[in-house]
Amino acid sequence: MDTRFPICRSRTQRGASALQLLVILVPVLFGLIGFAIDLGILYVVKGELKTAANSMALAAAQQLIGTDVATDAANAAAQLTVQNGANVGNKYGFNGLAIGQTNGTLDSIVPPPAYFAAAADAIAANGNGGAGGVGGAQAKYATATVTGQIPLVFWNFLPIVTSRNLTVVATAVAGISAPLCTACGIEPFAVATIDQNDTTNFGYTLNELYSFTYLCSGVPVPAPLAGAAQVLNYVLLNRLDPNAVVYPDEGSQIFRDGAGGLPGNTSSAQACFVINNNELIWANAAPVACSAAAPAAVVTNALCGLDTRFELSANPACQAIAGFDTLSTIYPADTDLNSYTTYTDYTGDGRRIITIPIVDAISATASMTVLGFRQFLVMPAQGGTAINPDDPNGRFVAMYIGSVAPVKQGRFDGCQQAAGPGKVVLHQ
Amino acid sequence: MNRKGGALIESVMMMPVLLSLLIGTVELARVFYTYYTLEKVMYNLARYIGTQQGVNFCDPADPLIIAAENYALTGSTATAQDPVVPGLTPAMFQIAIQRYDPAAQAMTPCDCSAAGCDTSQGGLPPNFIQVSLPDGYSVQPLFWGFRIDPFPLRPTVTVPNGGT
Repeated sequence: MDTRFPICRSRTQRGASALQLLVILVPVLFGLIGFAIDLGILYVVKGELKTAANSMALAAAQQLIGTDVATDAANAAAQLTVQNGANVGNKYGFNGLAIGQTNGTLDSIVPPPAYFAAAADAIAANGNGGAGGVGGAQAKYATATVTGQIPLVFWNFLPIVTSRNLTVVATAVAGISAPLCTACGIEPFAVATIDQNDTTNFGYTLNELYSFTYLCSGVPVPAPLAGAAQVLNYVLLNRLDPNAVVYPDEGSQIFRDGAGGLPGNTSSAQACFVINNNELIWANAAPVACSAAAPAAVVTNALCGLDTRFELSANPACQAIAGFDTLSTIYPADTDLNSYTTYTDYTGDGRRIITIPIVDAISATASMTVLGFRQFLVMPAQGGTAINPDDPNGRFVAMYIGSVAPVKQGRFDGCQQAAGPGKVVLHQ
Repeated sequence: MNRKGGALIESVMMMPVLLSLLIGTVELARVFYTYYTLEKVMYNLARYIGTQQGVNFCDPADPLIIAAENYALTGSTATAQDPVVPGLTPAMFQIAIQRYDPAAQAMTPCDCSAAGCDTSQGGLPPNFIQVSLPDGYSVQPLFWGFRIDPFPLRPTVTVPNGGT
């Protein structure tokens, strides 16, 4: 070749250099386009899987009510959020791929959520496949792991990529929150603290059966119901909604409160109780003489509501409630109607759990200060499967269970609580 | 000079190919970005409703549902102006409510009656909230200045209801 004119050599090869440039550029371009498109797809898929994981963890955590079988219900609820049979569950891959199934080339795996007793453990084990989990009675936090595969389009052509399908994993942790200062949707029955210095249980004993008896005056003091020697006086706190449009009648309002807790209301003064707030007794539920044949009608109506947690209430005493025929069909019975001596043996869906305010001292005339919220499991009448709304002293039996089950709604502002029920929140 | 011109022609021939790749990449990435944003908007909408009290699911004009839609679209419950996804309006969302049916082990849609999930009629709150875009959000990428056929994006989000 012509060594005297080195510049000429490059000139002769310039045509080829454009081709060389192209050959070098193609992998670079594919890499760059891959950043835009493949990475874009991965972000979309990651976002969809994260939504699915969040939903799973939230749905599971809502079922953790502290019983031995709670995790079974939680697994079923979690599975529902990605169930695709009726085309309602979350999907991934531009809403086109079912989660938890394989379509031949792309696999998606959804193991059941893992359960933990402490938030720190759940967060530390997140994405760990459930190692170190606990059983139903201790479970407070659920971690969901959702895995989905997505094909690479451009990076697939790069030699460094070994697998055509990339696996994307999303995880979420949901569980009980800090104790609530404002609890909504709870039942307006109030009992007094037994020991004000006991910030955990207010002097109540876990798994102890109490005979709830409506406050009354004079003698004879009502006897406890069979199997629950300790009598616990209660009153109904006033949550009568004067502006109610649906079921404005007082009897149907208290029936609904007893059957399902305070109904949701945009006014939280109606739907919630706040710790340290003062409350008054339900105006028409003033105590009567203990020797009277029946307590105030409002109390009977409240017990009719409680009774729906066991059965389609057909008690004649309940028939007077306005709209009773419709109302009684709305509330499903608990899936477990049995009596227990240990709460963790309970296998139901939590319908029988009531969350009630604990006040400093119950009174028919003075205002009562809410100290906290605690939960009781309503028991069937001894030998029966329901409670008796007709009881002369508004009595029913309930087991003290502490604050195991999450409440549906509430806020944290304005107080410091060491213990009490929380609500379900996403922790990660 | 002759060969220099050849290189120039080659470059000119390559330019459209490279530019198409570049434009296509940008437009596709924009579609993905839009989809991701839509998905997050709908998740926030469902989650916001799921943490409120006394939502009337059967009334699209319910103040809480409007507040949730505004919040998801703009970050403010007061207005739906200037949404994070241009052209997305509250009317495009469909909010469906589902109840867990223990017998069928499945979710069943709730009807708007007291025995369904109509809390405004005294019914119990639903178990799940599903947000979808029935008609989709239409995107129309530009390619070389031509508008290609618009196509809808249809994310769907299901979250459990935590509110009462």
